Amino acid sequence: MKKRAITRRDFLRVAAMSPFAGAFACGSKKQEKKKAARRAKVVLIRDKNALISFKKPNPRVIQKMLDDSITTLLGEADPVSAWKKLVKPSDIVGIKSNVWGPIPTTREVEQTLKARIMDAGVAEENIGIDDRGVRRNRIFKNATVIINARPARTHHWSGMGGCIKNPIMFVPWPPAYHGDSCADLATLWYKHNLKERTKLNVLLMLNPQFHGIGPHNYSDKYVWEYKGILVSQDPVAVDAMGVLILQAKRREYFGEDRPLQPPAKHIYLADTRHNLGVSDPDKIELIKLGWEEGILI
Amino acid sequence: MRKASCVAIIIFYVGVLSLFAHKEAYKEQNINKKRSKIFFYYVQLEGARIMEDTSKDDKIALGDLLPQEIHGWQATGKDEIYDPQTIFDYIDGAGEVYRSYNFKQLLARRFTKEGSPDIVADLFDMETSRDAFGVFTHDLEGEDAGVGQGSTYNGGLLSFWKDRFFVSLYSEEETEDARKTLYALGKKVASSIKKEGKKPDIVFLLPSENLIEKSAHYFHNHLILNYHFYVSDENILLLNQQTEAALGIYRENDEKSYILLVRYPEIGKASQAYKSFVQSYMPDAAELGLVQTEDLKWTAAKLHQDFIIIILNAPSRFLAKETIEKVEKRIGQI
Repeated sequence: MKKRAITRRDFLRVAAMSPFAGAFACGSKKQEKKKAARRAKVVLIRDKNALISFKKPNPRVIQKMLDDSITTLLGEADPVSAWKKLVKPSDIVGIKSNVWGPIPTTREVEQTLKARIMDAGVAEENIGIDDRGVRRNRIFKNATVIINARPARTHHWSGMGGCIKNPIMFVPWPPAYHGDSCADLATLWYKHNLKERTKLNVLLMLNPQFHGIGPHNYSDKYVWEYKGILVSQDPVAVDAMGVLILQAKRREYFGEDRPLQPPAKHIYLADTRHNLGVSDPDKIELIKLGWEEGILI
Repeated sequence: MRKASCVAIIIFYVGVLSLFAHKEAYKEQNINKKRSKIFFYYVQLEGARIMEDTSKDDKIALGDLLPQEIHGWQATGKDEIYDPQTIFDYIDGAGEVYRSYNFKQLLARRFTKEGSPDIVADLFDMETSRDAFGVFTHDLEGEDAGVGQGSTYNGGLLSFWKDRFFVSLYSEEETEDARKTLYALGKKVASSIKKEGKKPDIVFLLPSENLIEKSAHYFHNHLILNYHFYVSDENILLLNQQTEAALGIYRENDEKSYILLVRYPEIGKASQAYKSFVQSYMPDAAELGLVQTEDLKWTAAKLHQDFIIIILNAPSRFLAKETIEKVEKRIGQI
């Protein structure tokens, strides 16, 4: 039987999916969703001193933000105990970073993560930090645990570059995932055994990009100092919250609802088609910590 | 002609080699043999097409259109050249946009000046002026820069089109000095492109009344349509690189609506696409080609010779029908 096309009208039937404007709808959601009642937890932490200057994180504050958010996420009193829930001394740990020039993960964030992984007992020689070289990197080839950390930004072809998209460098030829605006990015998590291995997703909202222009899809004009970090064990939930913040910023900046171009439907499909995580905001417990001014959600 | 033949042979073998290089990726995505075969034929056709163009285009080398120095910024490093297969190495997913407009070659040159942000000049040879215009309409935000045949400046990015070229000049940081330099560089590049190109006729068929300024987009395929106005995950309008489409955004009394015009290579294909659209997008239409959608707006579609005219998000049934008639009349006047 021929697959039914999913149209804009399907989307219009549900207002609940508004973060993924233009994406998909309840009708298809009911058909495609296999597991009901899944829930996810996301922690949003903000600190007005998170940046020393534009794009330059304050390492001391970043350390505290990551410690506070991860202990809250995992329900532990101190950061080392929390990290011990994620890694054990025998693990080989790859910190999947993002080196994109205008807004990278940053050394400050990478080193903070690495320090805590070492505090949890993992030997330094068993920890790697990489982005574009993960396919050749010995640590990543043998990694038992992946920590997925990258900034949030709008993306020319997938709508949003977030935690679901970050492991694209595990793929031999990333453009193979470009079909239908990267609709099925979530499949790479299964093909490269990332779902089980990725223990933590860190979506940096320190200076996120809410709009892109030109072939390089970037201008400082569309980046703002939100000074936040989202953490979750669920890559879909963390991206879904990221999209809500980007959409809210777009509404504030443009003075009208301007859906991401193209819609970041891969986030919604990662849930409904691929069961990678939870995208429905109603099923995500969002815990907000720290600075509230300009929080947007 | 001999040179052109050599180019064709080289392109053919590069294509075959890239098939092997991407074998692993195709395996991963479960792309079957049939698709690989299509790609193989595509490589052959592309080779033949480029052979024809190369003989035609020998006279213009992209690098000659750019200066080596501008306002103290010096060209640094080697020029980088990309084609539709390698563009992802340079601009990742954004490469799909230029591929959607049949781009042939991209030259990237970096300019540096101590204490100032780098400037990156990207020159796209789009092969035809309609595609140079089209790719320019993909991103129209910003002020008119008065460069080339159409231009915008926005946040450190100056882009324009002229003849069959689309040019993007980008400063990695926006400073007053860099902004002035981008304008000067734009004017210099535009003046080195001697010819002017023609805009695609279909764009002139969009009614101008209530058309939002800088909102008319020209394109070929459904990926770009979905970028500007999400219609469907499937290609229900049967768009491809041979179809021409124009999308205009209209505002009247704070209500936004869209007119989409598509021209097919022949009437039969237009008719087939019309049926596909009506079946997928308005299966519940009480009247052929007219439906009220879930947001209480109206969508109307009509087949007119080799065109499909669609109005989306019309505030009323009356306006939807009236707009269709208006566009039909304009087509009739061609």
